[in-house]
Amino acid sequence: MKYDYFFELAKQKGIEECELKISESYSLSFSLFHSEMDDYQVNNGYSIVARGLINGKFGTATCDVWNKEKAEFLVNEIVKNAKVIEDEDPMFIYKGDEKYRKINTYNKELFDVPADKKVQKLFELEKLLKEGNKISEVASVSYSETRSVNTLLNSHGLKLSQKNNYYFIVGEAVAKEGEQVKTGYDFLFSNNYNDIDVKKLADKIVEETTSQLGGEPCESGDYPVVLDNSCVASLLGAYLSSVDAEEVQKHTSLFEGKLNTKIASSKVTIEDRPLQRSLFARGFDDEGVATYNKPIIKKGVLMTYLYNLTTAAKDGVKSTGNGFGAAKIGTSPVFVYMKPGKKSLEELFQEVNNGVYITDIVGLHAGLDPQTGNFSLQSTGFLIKDGKKDRPLDIITVSGNLMKLFKDIKTLGSDSKSFISAVNCPSVIVKKLAIGGK
Amino acid sequence: MINKKLALDIINLSLETGADYSEIFYEDSHAQTVMVENGKVNTSTSSSLCGVGLRLLKGNRSVYGYTNDLSKNGLTKLAKNLSASFTGERVLTVNEFKEIKVENRNPIKDSYDNHPLEERIELIKVGINAINELNDPRIVRTQGAMSTTHRSVTIYNSKGKWFKRDTEFARMFFVVIAANQNGIETAFEGPGCQQDISYFKNQLNIKELAQKTAKTALLMLDAKECPSGKMDVVIGNAWGGVLFHESCGHPLEASAVSRELSPFAGKVGEMVASPVVSAYDDSTIPGAWGSIDIDDEGNPGEKRLLIKDGILQDYMIDDFNGRRMNREGNGACRRQNYRYCPTSRMSNTYIANGKSTPEEIIAATKLGLYAVSFKGGSVNPATGEFNFGCSEAYIIRDGKIAEPVKGATLIGKGHEILKDIDMVGNDLALGEGICGAASGSIRTCVGQPTLRIKNITVGGRGGELR
Repeated sequence: MKYDYFFELAKQKGIEECELKISESYSLSFSLFHSEMDDYQVNNGYSIVARGLINGKFGTATCDVWNKEKAEFLVNEIVKNAKVIEDEDPMFIYKGDEKYRKINTYNKELFDVPADKKVQKLFELEKLLKEGNKISEVASVSYSETRSVNTLLNSHGLKLSQKNNYYFIVGEAVAKEGEQVKTGYDFLFSNNYNDIDVKKLADKIVEETTSQLGGEPCESGDYPVVLDNSCVASLLGAYLSSVDAEEVQKHTSLFEGKLNTKIASSKVTIEDRPLQRSLFARGFDDEGVATYNKPIIKKGVLMTYLYNLTTAAKDGVKSTGNGFGAAKIGTSPVFVYMKPGKKSLEELFQEVNNGVYITDIVGLHAGLDPQTGNFSLQSTGFLIKDGKKDRPLDIITVSGNLMKLFKDIKTLGSDSKSFISAVNCPSVIVKKLAIGGK
Repeated sequence: MINKKLALDIINLSLETGADYSEIFYEDSHAQTVMVENGKVNTSTSSSLCGVGLRLLKGNRSVYGYTNDLSKNGLTKLAKNLSASFTGERVLTVNEFKEIKVENRNPIKDSYDNHPLEERIELIKVGINAINELNDPRIVRTQGAMSTTHRSVTIYNSKGKWFKRDTEFARMFFVVIAANQNGIETAFEGPGCQQDISYFKNQLNIKELAQKTAKTALLMLDAKECPSGKMDVVIGNAWGGVLFHESCGHPLEASAVSRELSPFAGKVGEMVASPVVSAYDDSTIPGAWGSIDIDDEGNPGEKRLLIKDGILQDYMIDDFNGRRMNREGNGACRRQNYRYCPTSRMSNTYIANGKSTPEEIIAATKLGLYAVSFKGGSVNPATGEFNFGCSEAYIIRDGKIAEPVKGATLIGKGHEILKDIDMVGNDLALGEGICGAASGSIRTCVGQPTLRIKNITVGGRGGELR
């Protein structure tokens, strides 16, 4: 059934302006356990988010089947929901921009590679992991692939669409030595099948897992720290939640009143790069606003907040094309790029000389408060002794404050890596962090 | 709706290539969420969820797929697609379905659909107004919300079982953000149930709940940073149970145990905890947030004794993972919705009452931490390593609750701290939450009485405990 029916019906029911966000997806995933394919999934998904304005108030409704009955459901629920809204923030259905950059995030060839070949890669990965020295078990190896088409239609006649696909391979291994059990994992993702290097991935997982064996806590205290790029990526996600203009307007952002002031070390430059060639590239946001590349923090100075249409109107500025979300449109960067430095990881260890190298932090949703920036997180890492990576550390916590951490970044590494959380960043040296051990 | 005839055709088609089990999960649910921010309704959303998940098993292999195309063609395509991943001869044909009858402990007496949205908004505002009555300028932002879900699920499987069950559940939550020159603190409370609106109108004290949320945020605002190091920790009842849920509950799920990726694998009958610890996973508590009458494989909900006086008794098991363990499922197979392949999960999981009073436990602690409640946490089931962030905590000095502290994180290994529990209180209570794992986000209750753990690692920014 065509979507016209929804727009006609909405008009009849007094919905002044409205939009449909339609997402169609296909996904394939499988995993192995003990050389058997123990999980195989093929899904065809479909979902619609509808929003409509009545007297300047938004009503929203969602569904995942498209027929006459569901179109009526969406319209009726929009009317019902818009009626109860009391908030007076300005709301918009966007008329559209003059130009949108064409984005290519779809690689047809990936789809053409038969499933058996992809399964074969996974068997190879599992075999290599099993052969790994001290590896007692392969906890899981899995492959998942998603193809999706996202379309935005609105009553102003705006019609935007983007197609993308990618695969994600992850492996996790278990190593045992005496009573001690350690797990380690690593992943790779791309939309180019030829990027799959199983040997390299397996080597990294084995190294990640077995290198932690024999760990003990270190003495509690303040240490200079090398933060691995994966940890920087996790912390960046929390740090940048403060760049959302809504948080600023509601007085819950760490960056309130800090525009054009120095908030981080002058070594730190962070950009939002929606138009850079990456799997995360987007030509338009969820409100239909054209995206563009921009610095968020330049040499330590906060350059902009991120806006959607509503928060931009409240501050009297233009949307930065960062309005993302389903029923409620929030703000988020598209692809965070942190400018790398020149030193290799080994050179970072040399610079620190004696300190701690943190390789993994977990439990950010409980151990990090994005509003104060305070964190205390379960971590894994190594001692740095005489300029070299030394023995592993077990059961330690790393504590600090995000604002202070980004001010204390002394040196950036050259080892930038992209993460599935749409962040690309290097490892860094932080002058001082509190490590909780024994 | 998928009728029996269509279900029979699809199941038999899916068994063509040798699957030994097939199951159709059909869901037609709808939900409504309304949110009040700083006293004004700012979001109201309705959602409809309708689709089919098809699962095929052959030995230790599982194949799953879902579709929103509910036509015969759509389902046929899904069945063919999935069965193509097996190569073999048919081993099973289903001739008819027999309805499974189980007790309905969570009946829909008065559907939320019969109550206007305005009624829910009014209830939320009772709480928001109560917060405003505190008239504290440090409160900078308030949120109150209520979401209600009507879930209708029909399952057909190749054991010839079918059932249809409609349930309704609702959750209300309050978030209060307080700020002063010391920083910003957020507090959260979110009670939920499988009962009708009368629970929120007559049983829940919304005013008290909302004010408690605000008071916690205000208290933590001026709290000092928590010291770090090893110390004795008294953990509060209800939400304190999230520690047991994460560090012991997850490793007791068959998905981890059957693959021997759990420190509890093969330990039934062995002492895994201190003798003062007994624990249950009970999906039969009427009206409770985490209860289910019947699981996603058609097995009835059960009260499972997990640990008795420190000795491991049983696990949460689904039929599929049970195959590796030579066990039948015990009613623990769950999923968020049709988009998730189901697996073994918890329901209402708690440590049972002990003999001490909470006052005795505090009084017996010379110097330590009183962790009243947690924001949440996570665990690695294979190693048992966990971490939890405290949302409200105090230092205990000379057997008395002393100054509040913020930023406390507890870390350790679940199977080790179970042995370090040395006092268990008699004030068992449950707390409602959402648990995320392989089969999606599901309703669960955590719970425990006040209890004490000896010598656990605490992370914080406040230096050494003195």
